[in-house]
Amino acid sequence: MSIRTELRYKIMKDYGAPAVMALQNFKKRKPRPIPEAFGPPLESNKRLKEILSRHYFLSRYVPGVKKVAWVTSGAPVELLRAFDFYTIYPENHSALVGAKKQGADYCGIAEGSGFSQDLCSYARIDLGHMLSGKTPAGKLPKPDLLFCSNNICQTVLYWYKAIAHELNIPLIHFDAPFVTSEQTEADINYMAQQLQDMIPVLERVSGRVFYLNIFEDILKRSMETSKTWGTILDAMKAQPAPMTIFDAFGHLAPIVSLRGLPVAQDYYHILMDEVETRVTQGIGAISDERYRLIWDNIAIWYKVRFLATFFAERKMNFVTATYTNAWAETTGYLNVKDPWNSMAKTYGQIILNNNLKHRLDLMKKMIKTYSVDGMVMHSTRSCKPYSVGQFDLRKAITTDLDLPAVILDADIADERVWSEQQIHTRLEAFCETLEGSKHG
Amino acid sequence: MIIPDRSEYLKALAQSGQKIMGVLPALYPREILWAFDIHAAEIWDPPGELLHANAHLQTTICPIVKKSLEFILKEPDIINAGYLFPHTCDSLQNLGTQVKDLIGVSLPVYTFYNPKGSFNNTTTKYYQDILKNFQSTLEASYGPLDPEKLLAACVLSHNIDSHLLAIQLARMTDHLSLNNLEYFKLMRAQEYLLPTDYLSLLEQVDILDQPSETPRARLMVSGILPPTSEILEFLDELGVSIVADDLLAVSRRIPKFPMDVPVSPLDYLTDRFFILPSCSTRGGDLDERLHHLSKLMNASQAQGMLFNMVKFCEPELFDHRLLVKTLREKSIPVLTLETELESHISGQDKTRIEAFTELLFEMVSP
Ligand code: SF4
Ligand code: SF4
Repeated sequence: MSIRTELRYKIMKDYGAPAVMALQNFKKRKPRPIPEAFGPPLESNKRLKEILSRHYFLSRYVPGVKKVAWVTSGAPVELLRAFDFYTIYPENHSALVGAKKQGADYCGIAEGSGFSQDLCSYARIDLGHMLSGKTPAGKLPKPDLLFCSNNICQTVLYWYKAIAHELNIPLIHFDAPFVTSEQTEADINYMAQQLQDMIPVLERVSGRVFYLNIFEDILKRSMETSKTWGTILDAMKAQPAPMTIFDAFGHLAPIVSLRGLPVAQDYYHILMDEVETRVTQGIGAISDERYRLIWDNIAIWYKVRFLATFFAERKMNFVTATYTNAWAETTGYLNVKDPWNSMAKTYGQIILNNNLKHRLDLMKKMIKTYSVDGMVMHSTRSCKPYSVGQFDLRKAITTDLDLPAVILDADIADERVWSEQQIHTRLEAFCETLEGSKHG
Repeated sequence: MIIPDRSEYLKALAQSGQKIMGVLPALYPREILWAFDIHAAEIWDPPGELLHANAHLQTTICPIVKKSLEFILKEPDIINAGYLFPHTCDSLQNLGTQVKDLIGVSLPVYTFYNPKGSFNNTTTKYYQDILKNFQSTLEASYGPLDPEKLLAACVLSHNIDSHLLAIQLARMTDHLSLNNLEYFKLMRAQEYLLPTDYLSLLEQVDILDQPSETPRARLMVSGILPPTSEILEFLDELGVSIVADDLLAVSRRIPKFPMDVPVSPLDYLTDRFFILPSCSTRGGDLDERLHHLSKLMNASQAQGMLFNMVKFCEPELFDHRLLVKTLREKSIPVLTLETELESHISGQDKTRIEAFTELLFEMVSP
């Protein structure tokens, strides 16, 4: 690392990033008017934007100062933090591209180079980015290392393999056996051993030595952050709920991509304080919350605003989601005194790596504890592990709990998959049933 | 050489009281099932219309998963010992739990995890644990496993593999007088024949002392399943021989090289798993896969590659781009066909195959 590069990074970190953020705030266009259907927006939104913009901004100055790792959302990133990797989350970046309605454009680049349109759009967007260098974040650093875990899907392994080959860089894969009934001792030992096997590789790539005490501190911070995130989600049990799940989709970014860092820990304290104050003061995310809904599957990033408004105007609020819950659900297993086994339990049992009975039970529990009146399931073309089984989950939930439900066929980030007509018809029919069921 | 019809054969077996387990694609320790006297009847592409599966699965799910579910929903009499879902891909992973935990079938549902990614000592140790756990699960229903029977099953499996390797080699060097259709019928018969019957069948295969007539063109095929019978017949008509394959249902389940006669079943089964050819579904290394394909192409002197891609198959589709790119860089002609496992060959595909084979013929005699 040259002194100049490091100095430049330091200056950017301490002065450049704050200056750019301040300039952005100054330059910001007049805020969009908030539709009447919504309550006051969260103050924490500003801080969230700052944190994320800063993270992407600083990433430009990181090469030569820190090693860069591209990481999947379910990977045990705490281990990488112990080596001070600068982490970039391609899924997060793809969601950002999707939210900006540029998904089709990036997917097109990947498809043009030979990747099939039938692949997950997060992967296609990322591959499109890799092949073209395009990004709405200005510029992203090339990775020195790829780190993935198939605890969310096998797709990430195929996808990261393709990047590793193209860029000729190492890939570390954390193999998380799918939990068909419960984790076996063999599964736990296997995962715990893999984590320990990674240490020499990470030492080599990062040029740093592993210190257990540093790792334990990171783990502690990560645990605490996930717990705070869980508390924030719990606050949505209040009626009216202090935020919508569409807010939570955005506020999820630090727990996914900055987990284990002080910035994420601090941020969730700010957000927690704000939602708790709102609960105490009875401030709801929508102005008149009459119906409470659960969302299943990943967001439809290019339609978040549309869906939020559509439901808020009908006095319907999403108060919980299987997706946002994923980063709080298994944190209870983390144990600093038993780091390897506890990480195996935490990362091995997350919702997408667990059987559908587990998912059904979890959804039923969420429906009860959050006083949910109806369910919207996003059947996404991209994601097999999230979508295969949804038809039967819906059947079980509507039958057992007598809950109105609708399935929306769409995609997480490829806006070409959206069918306005079909979605409208389904949503209108769902709202009618929901209103009828509550008043009927 | 007469190969019995799949459904009649399995019907007769079931009627005779044989325990039969329906096994989904692709990798599982068949030897353990055999040692419990359970016959593994594999379910890849059962025939018939999709009548009920569509109510359980999205339109963007691959036809193998859909057809398998359709078959399971019929609760066929030939399957009497349950279903086994090896961990192959996200769709099959979820289908297993969907069938077991949400749809519900009257027979037991078993699963078997296949480790993913690159392999080392940790993976080897884990694979042995999985084998032991699988054995214990079956013991809970069928009583203790006789170690002698397991060893005998491994010896049988080793015997079958040895024959298959010899046949593959004979195919590559034109020492086999089977056309495309006959060859793949033979290779796929292992999906449903009792291992002893299959071994007898393999023993009947005539490996020629001298090479037979050289085909007009030589092709390698890659994908999950071989092309449909109609396509195989069409290639036969055109004088194109599929001389080597990289198919999950066929050669990706045969060890890359001959193994020693088994002495310890656990070691044998472990070694066998780790020397299977690199496969997309195991998250295998791409360079290793490319290297293996190029070795097969050289050994068989294949002039072109046919990718027979199952629609919506993510594992294959991800690797496909790099494989095509690399082959094209080496000026090897490539044709990709997409299949939804329909038995009929479309006019468009026929034309594309014809054009492709023309290209191969030109290469042979410019
Ligand atoms: S959307 Fe689904 S398939 Fe795509 S990366 Fe995420 S978990 Fe994997
Ligand atoms: S064809 Fe592909 S997606 Fe379908 S079951 Fe086989 S491996 Fe899975």
